[in-house]
Amino acid sequence: MHRVGSAGNTTNSVRPRKEKRLAYVLSDADDTKHCAGINCLKVLKSTVSNGCDYLFTGSRDGTLKRWALSEDSASCSATYESHVDWVNDVVLAGDSTLVSCSSDTTLKTWNCLSDGTCTKTLRQHSDYVTCLASAEKNSNIVASGGLGGEVFIWDMEAALTPVSKSGEAMEEDCLNGVNGSTNSLPMTSLRTISSSNSISAHTTQGYVPVGAKGHKESVYALAMNDSGTRLVSGGTEKVVRVWDPRTGSKAMKLRGHTDNIRALLLDSTGRYCLSGSSDSMIRLWDLGMQRCLHSYAVHTDSVWALASTPTFSHVYSGGRDLSLYLTDLATRESLLLCTKEHPISQLALHDDSIWVATTDSSVDRWPAEAHNPQKVFQRGGSFLAGNLSFPRARVSLEGSIPVPVYKEPTLTIPGTSALVQHEILNNRRHVLTKDTAGSVKLWEITRGIVIEDYGKVSFEEKKEQLFEMVSIPTWFTVDTRLGSLSVHLDTPQCFSAEMYSADLNIVGKAEDDKVNLAHETLKGLLAHWLAKRRQRLGSQASANGDVLSGKDIAPRSLAHSRVEVDGGAENDSMVYPPFKFSTVSPPSMVTEGYQGGPWRKKITDLDGSEDEKDFPWWCLDCVLNNRLPPKENSKCSFYLHPCEGSAVQILTQGKLSAPRILRIHKVVNYVAEKMVLDKPLDNVNTDGTFAPGLGGHVQHSVVGDGSFRSGAKPWQKLKPSIEILCNNQVLSPDMSLATVRAYIWKKPEDLILNYRLAQGR
Amino acid sequence: MGAAGSKLEKALGDQFPEGERYFGLENFGNTCYCNSVLQALYFCAPFREQLLEYYANSKNTGDAEENLLTCLADLFTQISSQKKKTGVIAPKRFVQRLKKQNELFRSYMHQDAHEFLNFLLNELVDILEKEAQAVKSEPETSSPPEKTANGPKHAQANGVSKEPLVTWVHKNFQGILTNETRCLQCETVTARDETFFDLSLDIEQNSSITSCLKNFSSTETLNAEDKFFCDKCCSLQEAQKRMKIKKPPHILVIHLKRFKYIEQLGRYKKLSYRVVFPLELKLSNTVEDADIEYSLFAVVVHVGSGPNHGHYVSLVKSHNHWLFFDDENVEMIDESAVQTFFGSTQEYSSNTDHGYILFYESIGASNNKS
Repeated sequence: MHRVGSAGNTTNSVRPRKEKRLAYVLSDADDTKHCAGINCLKVLKSTVSNGCDYLFTGSRDGTLKRWALSEDSASCSATYESHVDWVNDVVLAGDSTLVSCSSDTTLKTWNCLSDGTCTKTLRQHSDYVTCLASAEKNSNIVASGGLGGEVFIWDMEAALTPVSKSGEAMEEDCLNGVNGSTNSLPMTSLRTISSSNSISAHTTQGYVPVGAKGHKESVYALAMNDSGTRLVSGGTEKVVRVWDPRTGSKAMKLRGHTDNIRALLLDSTGRYCLSGSSDSMIRLWDLGMQRCLHSYAVHTDSVWALASTPTFSHVYSGGRDLSLYLTDLATRESLLLCTKEHPISQLALHDDSIWVATTDSSVDRWPAEAHNPQKVFQRGGSFLAGNLSFPRARVSLEGSIPVPVYKEPTLTIPGTSALVQHEILNNRRHVLTKDTAGSVKLWEITRGIVIEDYGKVSFEEKKEQLFEMVSIPTWFTVDTRLGSLSVHLDTPQCFSAEMYSADLNIVGKAEDDKVNLAHETLKGLLAHWLAKRRQRLGSQASANGDVLSGKDIAPRSLAHSRVEVDGGAENDSMVYPPFKFSTVSPPSMVTEGYQGGPWRKKITDLDGSEDEKDFPWWCLDCVLNNRLPPKENSKCSFYLHPCEGSAVQILTQGKLSAPRILRIHKVVNYVAEKMVLDKPLDNVNTDGTFAPGLGGHVQHSVVGDGSFRSGAKPWQKLKPSIEILCNNQVLSPDMSLATVRAYIWKKPEDLILNYRLAQGR
Repeated sequence: MGAAGSKLEKALGDQFPEGERYFGLENFGNTCYCNSVLQALYFCAPFREQLLEYYANSKNTGDAEENLLTCLADLFTQISSQKKKTGVIAPKRFVQRLKKQNELFRSYMHQDAHEFLNFLLNELVDILEKEAQAVKSEPETSSPPEKTANGPKHAQANGVSKEPLVTWVHKNFQGILTNETRCLQCETVTARDETFFDLSLDIEQNSSITSCLKNFSSTETLNAEDKFFCDKCCSLQEAQKRMKIKKPPHILVIHLKRFKYIEQLGRYKKLSYRVVFPLELKLSNTVEDADIEYSLFAVVVHVGSGPNHGHYVSLVKSHNHWLFFDDENVEMIDESAVQTFFGSTQEYSSNTDHGYILFYESIGASNNKS
């Protein structure tokens, strides 16, 4: 369901992926800042005097945040985390419901003053949901628009009402009801919990919204009037469509724009409409007369955001040209309020100020004088808006670019720089990243932390500097869509990478033990969940044993019906240090179970109440049962031949096979051992067996070693100094077979290694 | 045949252009695809001129190994140096060389004229580039290894930036298209250039070259399952893509996609659509908004109702006269007859002669300098 993929033709909701994937989003900053562009803003005014006003921000980082506002500060008071892709728009509905929409194709609802728990996931769209609109005075009505021309009108009250279920489902509910929150899902609504009605927030949806059908292309903007009697939509069709949201029926279609419509506003009555377009124009429409009253050429590039004064007399507009303008709709006088460093994505008026969101991760507040905009005009510097689009508009400005009225914002809510570039290093544990500020950092993805901050250096140079000649299979993919690193794991590919315990410096584990990187990473990610779960199951088992067994043998437990909760695997669930995730800035897990939709949660916020069916079964099979998918061949075949002209020769049985991660020093040992065990060349009776009990030979060699310096034959040394070569290149003992194959052999055929006595000693 | 020649001579009378030769080409069994294209190229004045000039120069240096380029030059020289003004020539060496070079053309099956033209032009370019390289490496032997050392660095698949060598074939036929993609989220435009020797256009019933060109550069939206990965947004977004002509070629070759694969039939079908091609063409979908005017000088015509059989002939404009070349035969035709090759509005029509490859030359000398 979620569009996590980044490479090639990625998933879409309609095409089921073979297996659900698991991803985790890394962060190195505190939780009180957005780390990608802000797509949307909403101000919630306090209803009581002296109460606190709030600002809600939705970001490309996939989260929403609530900021408690005061005159000169804004503090993050909640993070709403559950969307798995960009949050594109946000509105308030009802008394206290926050509705957000995302490129993950869902709408989510939240209690706006809660700690950030998602109360409901609404799944109706099949592509990105780009915009929302709500009716101020009929606040249960929310419209959502998206790509593919999908527009739905929701009655939020109905959509949030628990669904009455059919018999079978009821039974399930009863079952779930007993163990209450144990079986509740990460997104289970506060509302439903408080009403002690345990339904799955994101399972079958009884409510179906009204569809506004007839869009031929993607919708990028929506607006609704106060009473919810009129809805306007705009998009790549370049027309403003007008709807009756109560029925979803078309009212009219208005032509005029010559490019995508990105922003729309309706006045409270629903008669006048303002539209902002990628053709750089703002248009004022009279829907009663079905015509365009004015077109304002104010911007020099696409108009992306509009906000109007309460009386609909003036409009604030921002867009791709980084500029915020104030325009008097009647006199066509226009004023440049401020210029930003990034394109403006959304605006929100707040008393006499305006909040400005940009594609950068920070939000600024600027003076706006929305209640008396004339005041700003008195400062001078205004110009008359033309009615021809840029570039002709620019010419009509007669002279230089206007000077902005305001130089500095009155308040800035800072964000952290979004990552824009990444490179997975050859060791397949480190990822090099660069952010919008140019800072280059090195991440260890198995621990989810930054291990090196290089500052502002050349990404390419650093990449070359960090090059290591090692070959480890690709076991994860990453993207930076959310402004931070998302690491994606897919089964069975993710289980393809192994390392020796010794190479990871795991203390207390035999050095030759093979460690599966994905297995250990999953254990690390789910450690918190497992611990909490164990606690829960433990306490519950004592309280109500029946429930426990009933739950665990639930038919839906599919592949892991044989879950051995603590079946002797206790030791294996130990998380090794190289896979311990940070608890200061823990990663967020992004995944999807085999029921319900995608979700995202901090791994430390997993409280053990999450149902197993919210996780991909293969992750649980791995973590709980230590079962990994059958391995595709992790062996490497090779031939071992003596170097040309080398006097040493051992007997090998043709093609050899070893793990790909086998180090060359093991091959050295093998050859050395063979050489010692085998008779010297002149002995014809070589049998070459490895069987123990040939100690006699060893003894003999040991004895012989003493006479080495006195011209004894070299193979009589205990540990002859052997070199392994490939393509005439001496190999470092640290190299693995896979590395030799990838960087030295470079051929699809079986690897050929040559051995000889070390030279030059 | 001799009679046909004299008939043509008679028809032209004293208007027979000075120094011009009109010779039919013998068919060696389904080699009309080759003959029709060769005639069009022969009457592409700048191409012929430069080919003959090249041949004269290379002859001086001697030792020229036989290749498609020398065979073609040889053939053109042979025609132009004929004592008689009209007649028939057998392009034997050329056809033999072609069959040797490419097994695709080896059989006696019906071949695609466009495929042949494309193969020929690319082959000529290859030969010229190899020659240029050989000349370069002769005086300074140290340069080639140095080049290979830098080789993997510029791993650009882009034809333009890769090799700056511009041969006279390039100068005549090569144009540059730019593929513009605009992300609908951040509205950043990414442009990628690609070179072309001819434009292959999808065709519609009752349309014109102008409208086909318009469709060619019309906007395509990348959406739904086929979103665009925007580097700026670091994510998949909807995008609008369009092709524009960045540098129009001096000789504009337009290939009409008359052979379409029909999925239901599991085979190719010939589209006999009526597509009007004007004698004077204005190219307006260029990056610089300036219109460029072209004049039609040759048409390769496919005769027949199906893709796997039929015949190729060509119409050629030489010294303001239109000539009709059908293998050995050369006739004079009226300019107004050109429009009988536009195609038909009905699917089944007795007229199965349809313009297939159009050769336009830009008017005015502005383009000659590049």
